[in-house]
Amino acid sequence: MARRVLGDDPFASSIPEGASAPEEKAKTDAPKKRSIPPKARKSVPPKAPRKSKAPPPQADEPVARVAPPPAPLPVIEVPSLSDVPSPVDEPVEETVGAADLPPEAPAAEERAAPTDAPRAADGEESLEDTIRALEARLDKLLEGSREQAQPILDRVSDKLRAVASAPAARGDGASEARDEAAPYDVARDLFASQYYLRQWGRVAMRDRSEEVDEFGFDPSYDARWRPFFDFLYERWWRVDVEGIENVPAEGRVALVANHSGAVPYDGIMLAAAMRREHPSARPLRWLAEDFVSHLPFMGAYLTRLGAVRACQENAERLLRKESCVAMFPEGVKGVSKLFRDRYKLQRFGRGGHIKLAIRTRTPLVPVSIVGAEETHPLIAPSGVVARMLGVPYVPITPTFPLLGAAGLVPLPSKWRIVFGEPMPMDAYGPDAADDEVLVGRLNEKLRGTIQDTLDRALRQRRSVFSG
Amino acid sequence: MIDPSKDGARETSMTDGRNDTMRVARGPRAKRTVALTGADAFLGRNLIGLLEDDDRVGRIVAFDVKNPPSAGRKTRFYKVDLTQPSVDARIAEVLAAEDVDTFLHLAFLSSPTHASAWAHELESVGTMHVLNACRERPVRKFALWSQTILYGAAPSNPNFLTEAHPLKGQTESRFLNDKIEAEQVVARFARQMPGTVVTVLRVAPILGPTVDNYLTHYLGRRLVPTLLGFDPLMQFTHEVDALAAFKLAVMRDAPGVFNIASEGVLPLSTVIKLAGRMALPLAHPLAYPLARALWAAQLSEAPWMFLDYLRWVCVADTELAQRELKWRPAFTTREAVLDHGGAQSLRDAHLMRASSHL
Repeated sequence: MARRVLGDDPFASSIPEGASAPEEKAKTDAPKKRSIPPKARKSVPPKAPRKSKAPPPQADEPVARVAPPPAPLPVIEVPSLSDVPSPVDEPVEETVGAADLPPEAPAAEERAAPTDAPRAADGEESLEDTIRALEARLDKLLEGSREQAQPILDRVSDKLRAVASAPAARGDGASEARDEAAPYDVARDLFASQYYLRQWGRVAMRDRSEEVDEFGFDPSYDARWRPFFDFLYERWWRVDVEGIENVPAEGRVALVANHSGAVPYDGIMLAAAMRREHPSARPLRWLAEDFVSHLPFMGAYLTRLGAVRACQENAERLLRKESCVAMFPEGVKGVSKLFRDRYKLQRFGRGGHIKLAIRTRTPLVPVSIVGAEETHPLIAPSGVVARMLGVPYVPITPTFPLLGAAGLVPLPSKWRIVFGEPMPMDAYGPDAADDEVLVGRLNEKLRGTIQDTLDRALRQRRSVFSG
Repeated sequence: MIDPSKDGARETSMTDGRNDTMRVARGPRAKRTVALTGADAFLGRNLIGLLEDDDRVGRIVAFDVKNPPSAGRKTRFYKVDLTQPSVDARIAEVLAAEDVDTFLHLAFLSSPTHASAWAHELESVGTMHVLNACRERPVRKFALWSQTILYGAAPSNPNFLTEAHPLKGQTESRFLNDKIEAEQVVARFARQMPGTVVTVLRVAPILGPTVDNYLTHYLGRRLVPTLLGFDPLMQFTHEVDALAAFKLAVMRDAPGVFNIASEGVLPLSTVIKLAGRMALPLAHPLAYPLARALWAAQLSEAPWMFLDYLRWVCVADTELAQRELKWRPAFTTREAVLDHGGAQSLRDAHLMRASSHL
């Protein structure tokens, strides 16, 4: 913006723009629009090494670097508000820089340059000296032209300041009308809803990435919530992890875990465990059952945190990309079981996860999570109410409907996550996935492993809250 | 730009057209003659521009009710209204006269309309007419513009829908059902005509700086209505990607159905923010009846069941197109949204300037 406005004003722009224009052109390699004589173009190559010495400038930098005139700075400020030239004929910055500039300064510089250039080609050791000399020459030229231009710049900036502070009275002349536009523009900026929308858009995007992965995981959102889940992990539930080295460091792998606790925190905690404790800090995607993914708010938030709706296609796509996927084959039956049935594994679906693992040759790691059952103990079935609300269950806990929203604070039970030995699936052929008997056997074996580990961990546990 | 009077002359006298054909067809035989319906709509207009510049295309035959502005030297315009009963004979006649080898059927509405009877005639019956013409005078290749929204937004959708997924559409949506019918008759046509390469491109909603459809209108609103608590992943096709896919379909022989979409997905909320708009979340139990009422009163641009697209995911997997059609998306969904947003804010600025001069 600042540059374009500078460019609109031939006086303010001529020197810095003109001096930087050839350099910029050398970089962009687009000499078509230039009105500089062909001889001038020869001066570009000797200057190229000069650029390589300094750190590569940003797009707008040359103006500031080559000529930091003290005067133009207020000029930049003022016209951006007052919009001195009529907005219709706002030219593109590049063409202005090249075409509208008065030829004195750059032309003089470029005429001088070719005389030095052949000398540079003669001796290689003198190349650097030549560049130095050229640089000094350029600086001198710039300095000289700035001194030349200083009165003009001062005049222009004075005029612009006068324009900016002019009383806002309706004029009849065209120039007057332009002059008085400044305060109106400021007011219009501030009163236009567009301005606030833009600000709002900036604020609203602060915790969002502009790009998410293909299943909707949002790294910025995750980073923003990470401290909260770290707190839950470290302080609230004091998660102990055992055998996490059983999860291979790379390649596709599926973690199969028991599901519990009415509010499905176990996926998030499992992901946190993988992130914090696993040697290669594998990112984990966990499959959330349909009703969670479709719950208003919950589904959208969990998606941003890395949950994926549980279905064969999604799981297969994830595994084919060699990711680490957590599955809870109990599904809704797991999270909605009553407190008296805690740690009794429910039916493991119809073995879809086993078939998938056979088909994709994915090792299955049994995971037993102890402690999640006590976070939200379900004390009563919620059939009618749940059906009215269109959800599979409503968490009726000792605290929830009773204490209102505060009742949704989970109880600080002590968690323990045990990763078992991986079950390799390489031994089975691709048609084994259709062998229902085999799938059933494997499913029962997996379920038995997790149940045994759960029972062992429960026997070792002395207290629900202190472990 | 082509001289309309010259076109009119060509149109009225077929003999002149034939002479012209002979003259143009003198080049190498490899040059294609591409016919397209819906020539004056977004896709048709831009494809004509692209094909005009392509040396492999010798002639373009444009069917529409209006002359496309992008028509150039190669383009021959025939005024054809697909809703008319005897249009198939007319198209077949032109196909034979112009010796057409590739037919692009693009005459579909890009935005829902309240004139659903007319839309049905145009899309469902019009496709039947077009296919009858291609049966009468077979072409070597037939390509159809279809859309990924035909899969329908449903809670049971996987995150990526492959071409094998059934086209469920939405209940009561004639806008979608007409297009599904068109796809079905094209599938039947492909089975019946083994000599014709039939390519169906299911394109995700097209977004970009110049395209104008219900989606750009939706994102162009100051307050963009959404459903409270739902934030589905959205997928768009940048207009350039869509055009590139159609051009590839003309140039390459890839029979089958392909999903076309730009890379990546974005949550609806991010889309709205990137477009520089503000979301207006409505509770879905209220939004559906409201949308139904607005649609019945012809006050809204999209039918009420399109709210499902704001609630459930409907994203297509483009892997097959990348593999078989060798098409690569050059843009991402984010870039499509940003391109649209940039152009839209310029349009907004123009509007503001125009209104401030009043």
